[in-house]
Amino acid sequence: MMLSVRDLRVSFRTDDGLVRAIDGVSFDLEGGEILGVVGESGSGKTVSLLAVMGLITDPNAVIEGSIRYKGRELVGLPARELRRLRGSEIAMIFQDPMTALTPVYTIGWQIAEQIRAHRKIGKAAALERVEELLAEVNFPNPREAMSRYPHQLSGGMRQRAVIAMALSCNPALLVADEPTTALDVTVQAGILDLVRKLRATHNSAVVFITHDMGVVSELADRVMVMYAGRIVERGSRAELFSDPLHPYTRALLGSIPPLSGEKPRRLPAIPGSPPSLLRLPPGCAFAPRCPVRYEPCDAARPALPGGNHAAACFRVAQA
Amino acid sequence: MIYPILRRLGQMLFVMFGISVIVFLIFFATPGADPAARIAGRNASPEVLEAVRHSFGFDRPLYVQYALMMKKIFITGDLTSFVNRGWKVVPAVLDSIPVTLSLVTGAAVLWVVFSIIIGIAAAATRDSWLDKLLMALGLLGISMPVYWLGEVMNLFSQSRYHDTWLFSWVPPLGYKNFSDDPKGWFLTLVIPWITLAVLYIGIYGRVLRAAILESMQEDYIRTARAKGLSETRILLRHALRTSLISFVTLFGLDFGALVGGSALLTEVVFGLQGIGKLTYDALQSLDLPMIMATVMYASMFVVIANALVDFVYILLDPRVKTS
Amino acid sequence: MSDEMEPDQTILETRGLGKRFSIGTRFSKEGRRVVHAVDNVSLAVRRGETLGLVGESGCGKSTLARCLVRLYDITDGRLLFDGNDITSQSLAELRPLRRRLQMVFQDPSASLNPRRRAGDLVAEPLRVHTRLGAAGIRGRVAELFELVGLLPDHVVRYPHEFSGGQRQRVGIARAIALNPDLVVLDEPVSALDVSVQAQIVNLLADLQEKLKLTYVFIAHDLSVVRQVSNRIAVMYLGSIVEEGPSEEVFSAPAHPYSQALISAVPLVETTPGGRRKRIILTGDVPSPLDPPAGCRFHPRCPVAQARCRVERPALIEHRAGRKVACHFPVADGSARP
Repeated sequence: MMLSVRDLRVSFRTDDGLVRAIDGVSFDLEGGEILGVVGESGSGKTVSLLAVMGLITDPNAVIEGSIRYKGRELVGLPARELRRLRGSEIAMIFQDPMTALTPVYTIGWQIAEQIRAHRKIGKAAALERVEELLAEVNFPNPREAMSRYPHQLSGGMRQRAVIAMALSCNPALLVADEPTTALDVTVQAGILDLVRKLRATHNSAVVFITHDMGVVSELADRVMVMYAGRIVERGSRAELFSDPLHPYTRALLGSIPPLSGEKPRRLPAIPGSPPSLLRLPPGCAFAPRCPVRYEPCDAARPALPGGNHAAACFRVAQA
Repeated sequence: MIYPILRRLGQMLFVMFGISVIVFLIFFATPGADPAARIAGRNASPEVLEAVRHSFGFDRPLYVQYALMMKKIFITGDLTSFVNRGWKVVPAVLDSIPVTLSLVTGAAVLWVVFSIIIGIAAAATRDSWLDKLLMALGLLGISMPVYWLGEVMNLFSQSRYHDTWLFSWVPPLGYKNFSDDPKGWFLTLVIPWITLAVLYIGIYGRVLRAAILESMQEDYIRTARAKGLSETRILLRHALRTSLISFVTLFGLDFGALVGGSALLTEVVFGLQGIGKLTYDALQSLDLPMIMATVMYASMFVVIANALVDFVYILLDPRVKTS
Repeated sequence: MSDEMEPDQTILETRGLGKRFSIGTRFSKEGRRVVHAVDNVSLAVRRGETLGLVGESGCGKSTLARCLVRLYDITDGRLLFDGNDITSQSLAELRPLRRRLQMVFQDPSASLNPRRRAGDLVAEPLRVHTRLGAAGIRGRVAELFELVGLLPDHVVRYPHEFSGGQRQRVGIARAIALNPDLVVLDEPVSALDVSVQAQIVNLLADLQEKLKLTYVFIAHDLSVVRQVSNRIAVMYLGSIVEEGPSEEVFSAPAHPYSQALISAVPLVETTPGGRRKRIILTGDVPSPLDPPAGCRFHPRCPVAQARCRVERPALIEHRAGRKVACHFPVADGSARP
């Protein structure tokens, strides 16, 4: 098992009390697998992966549970050890390529910086490797691109540069946080293609965070749906999209307007909005918006059962 | 590259022209500001006044007076003081330039070095006792008036503790030319440098700390962490580097203003005949040619300093070059 | 709706509309340069319909939207609203028309004054443009709140106290307060969570039906645009490359760019193996400062020919109700086999 997360809980101390952003998240990831994590803002999808990366720097954050990478416990690992993994074994791609690169250094410099932080090689050798990497992510003119500053590249090019940087030390695990959300669809298509290709060539495992069901269904092997800090459904892509179990997953899929065929007069919308983490209902967090809610839903939180395809829902458990 | 420089020069000339016209009009064209009356002294008879007016050329049209003055400053360089007749103004200004430059440059080195150290140390140890101590000291530095601090320094180094080992090296007040006596130049300026720098160390240290902490919130810092870089490297190469941009802006403005005469109080306290002191004395006696010359000189320096800042900008921030 | 469109059914029309921005000054290195953000756009919006405007970032769709409500000054061509030429009318002359022509912005948290209560925000256009008294305004605000699905006690809340979806409802209430004829919606659901988007899309459809509104709907999310629009116009680099009934354009795009754009949308595939053929465009959208010669799409076009490099295709009707600006429009136009 490459990555094994057990009962991960992340809370933040705030003036209004303790806010639990992540509550009991567990999942496993095999080498070479693409895991899609879907959720809306505040669902905790980004926070949970920042926790895996050890990138939650807020002094008010409390991280509990277990994150094992290749059998090694990451929670509580000294910063120095964690840093050695970050960028070399585990790499990350961020949402907004416009702000993810330091504006005052060239692309080549920034990628070489990461290589030299982890490998004992000279400047010239590092730059040679940068050129290879940029060619790999389809830069038409990698040598020239190396000397460009971030603001001189388009959004798609910048995201490719960020991906090249993430790949620079051949990471076993790649965490991508909404890497295509800020991009146009035609550019997004190219990036998704690239991620697919890289999985094949580098055999990296990928955790792909997104709010876009379409992107997940195109890319992921397995899917995890999050709502209000918990996993509400988990399954393989085929299972989850052809037979969604949780009412939230169903509603979310239903509310996406179709791109072909009959146009519904009204979209089946989910009423209300995602709950504030400060004021979660005592029972199932989705209950106030759920079309099939019944008494048990308000009393207790449904647990996520084991198995390949499962949903945290009393209705599903009952059926 | 040649085009922006020419543009800068053009701007500089325009600014200096504007300033000279405004200053000139303030002293000649505002009602009640009759320089002849000032020069002739209190209770002067109308005849005397008329004689003064004529001998200084105040009875000619304004634009002629202005043109004459500009010609005497820039072309012939033989403008003489109204108050101390025969005293050539341009050489007086040129003589005071090295004094002020020495004072301000030395202080600038001190304040840049120490404020960067303080800013980094405070940002790196945010919310710790060290951060709080440094920021409190910075506030103290900002709050101490420079003339008061200068007098206290003088009190300690010149009289009260002058005979102790601590201050026995301090020479008497005044300025020594660098070319005549480099050691003396340095020793006389140490105390003024520190006095002038204290305020700016406080301001710049606090500004830099705030700028670094702001950069630390940026997305690219998270990227840098994700790359596995050390916190030191993230702070120095990524956060500090981008914070220096606001630091340089501030520096250019302050340095230009100080060289242009704002170091007056320090100059007065330490008996340095710098440009500030010269301007101050000229204003006291309404010595218009002297005011004109010093103001021209000051505006030139502010504009040059701004041009230098723009140049450093290009080095610091590649986005400026292309946009 | 009958297919025969009478001329008076056109409510908003642009004739060769263009918007140029100047960049730099005469003194900068490259000198003064001109960007054609919107270039020669001729459109007609019919009363009661929704015209969808799609395209990628930088294609000029938002600039065009702002020109349509005269938030930007138009530099070329003409803009006609209900038969009146409003291309260069002064703000005072525009005032009576302003209430009939409204706009909703993408980010409700940025377009609503954070220091005003929701009730005041919605009442503001009523105070400016109507002679209603305090009680009349209060009544109308209550009515509007109900219309957009907000609770009566929401009037005293400040924008930050609302969720994103509710904030957008306030923005919509403000836009419809004066009973406009036409509302230009610039990415009205893009900043919202997926589960909330559908609510707003439905609300807009309901309001259109109830208030007989005409919409110009701008979005980059193609499935949302398809859901709300009767007709769509696809923009690329400042110009319209294809226009037609939305169902037809989506099922059989004629311009290679529309085809690539539609094929690039990631879709939830419930049937395994039913993956569509995707056209991946190479390169980036060129800078509008330096647009390519000939057809502006030719450097990225998979079917470009020699002619495309030199001659710019005009937007012409290639079959009934369908316009395309391409020398070689896709014959059967099926994007998805």
